[in-house]
Amino acid sequence: MIVHTQQVTFDEELRLKSGATLKPVTLAYETYGTLNADRSNTILICHALSGDAHVAGQHSPHDRKPGWWDDAVGPGKAFDTDRYFIVCSNVIGGCSGSTGPSSINPETGRPYGLSFPVVTVADMVEAQRWLIDALDIPSLLCVTGGSMGGMQALQWAVSYPDRVRSALVLASTACTSAQTIALNEVPRQAIYADPNWNEGDYYGKEPPNAGLAVARMIGHITYLSETSMREKFGRRLQERERYGYDFATEFEVESYLKYHGNRFTSRFDANSFLYITKAIDYFDLSLGRGDLSEAFADVKAKILVLSYSSDWLYPPEQSEELVRGLLRNGIDASYVEIKSDYGHDAFLLEVERLGELTRDFLAKVERETSGPAGPAQGAPTSTGEREEKVYPLASWAAKTRGTWRLAKVEQREIA
Amino acid sequence: MNSSRPDLDVIVHMVSAGSRVLDLGCGDGTLLAELVAQKGVQGRGVEVDEVKVRGCMSKGLSVRHGNIEDGLADFPDGMFDVVILSQTVAYLNRPLGVMQEMARVGRSAIISFENAGYWKARGRSLRGGGAGTTLVSGQPRVRSITLPQFDEVLHHLGLQAKERVLLRGSEPVRRWPSLFADAAVFRVAKA
Repeated sequence: MIVHTQQVTFDEELRLKSGATLKPVTLAYETYGTLNADRSNTILICHALSGDAHVAGQHSPHDRKPGWWDDAVGPGKAFDTDRYFIVCSNVIGGCSGSTGPSSINPETGRPYGLSFPVVTVADMVEAQRWLIDALDIPSLLCVTGGSMGGMQALQWAVSYPDRVRSALVLASTACTSAQTIALNEVPRQAIYADPNWNEGDYYGKEPPNAGLAVARMIGHITYLSETSMREKFGRRLQERERYGYDFATEFEVESYLKYHGNRFTSRFDANSFLYITKAIDYFDLSLGRGDLSEAFADVKAKILVLSYSSDWLYPPEQSEELVRGLLRNGIDASYVEIKSDYGHDAFLLEVERLGELTRDFLAKVERETSGPAGPAQGAPTSTGEREEKVYPLASWAAKTRGTWRLAKVEQREIA
Repeated sequence: MNSSRPDLDVIVHMVSAGSRVLDLGCGDGTLLAELVAQKGVQGRGVEVDEVKVRGCMSKGLSVRHGNIEDGLADFPDGMFDVVILSQTVAYLNRPLGVMQEMARVGRSAIISFENAGYWKARGRSLRGGGAGTTLVSGQPRVRSITLPQFDEVLHHLGLQAKERVLLRGSEPVRRWPSLFADAAVFRVAKA
């Protein structure tokens, strides 16, 4: 499956939760499969901390690695591109084609660096809504993702209850825990401590790769479980028969972390790492409300929550708390704790059970919820009178401040 | 529906069409699916075994993976018309707490159990075979429940039997049920 990353730029101010604004907003996205006639078969996949829009397939036949969730997305797979129109976009704050700290600040003509405003998961979702509007998709059959992707799926169901028919939330939480904040802060400190970081002003110079590599190593530890580490590495040595009594990289696990840490620096921006982990830290759907149940009061989507037994970064207890909030509102929610030794990574790896559950869940959603419903959905509300670039989603557009227009749709491949 | 579980047919009969039903310990969803098909209920389940939970999902049911005590706590007061506990009460650690919770989340409850007062069970006990499952069977711990015991529990919890069906095999028992029924199905509600 050959896919191309596309980009869309909105020449409109995105109002962020912090009160700051961002303009222009570019989103990189990929689509797979075909949008059906009544525009009711869209599944939005949201990526986690280090992901991007390239969820599946290859950019060219020579690509060595397919997209980050290729095991689950494709013809006949859990998210079946023969049946569904799949959309995945890079989050704002990211560094894979969407506006982020490495983008050029139009006011200075230089990369934003730390002058980039802090974004939240809700802001990421708001930008995705612009994209979904631009694609003229009235409602989403499903929004899904693991980890921070699951947060976005939940945020969608909360922010746009009339546009989300279902959410499939994997290895995630409704409220980031102290432990997760701690496990985000230590990697950030590693980046701050790298002299190359230079308060975020390093573009065009040597980037803080040492700090970013340590940050990624910590991440990799949290994605595994004690059992999977024991099985994957044990105490095995790398390229050595016996201990060297020195500080060379000698255990396999050290070599693994070092390799992944270094590899990460070639594809990820340290400032993006700071901004995205901060967005995760701020995620708390109960913020400003009495409790989680209140946060879910307006949710209409059917929701399937999956947790993984050995995931200690987003442990099953946090999913159960989330499920409690949903069930207390009478929401049609299901919950499965998948037994797995793969830790947090299980959401990417346990694709067989995921596929089975996804097919069952989506079949139920398609059977029990209607596609675009309500008077304002589907066809444009008025023809002729409106300018053609004003989107037909009148009822939702009204919720936003004024109407917005698509300034520039640019399609290009990101090699 | 299931020749080895005639109580399930009785339960299906007891549930009114279109009601909101919670099945505790719903297994692979056989009973709930039957209730959806025959009575058009809005069903939800709670099940502790992952494989069975996935079985429920494959039947298009909504299910909360977890043990009954935790699962029940998630539901708001009076959310269901009927809460079902079929052949499970004997295996619970805290059956009274669960029955109380059932009365909180549901307007009525249907509970089925094996009658430990059934003459064959008594006979086995008298012959030294013990009550409940045998040690060698490897089955989990099970509580012996007799009809008078169950009546006592209902009274204790302020619940009232609205309907009860006593069975031997798949046949209703009318005479001396305490002795001749091997299974009981109660529909109860707050007194």
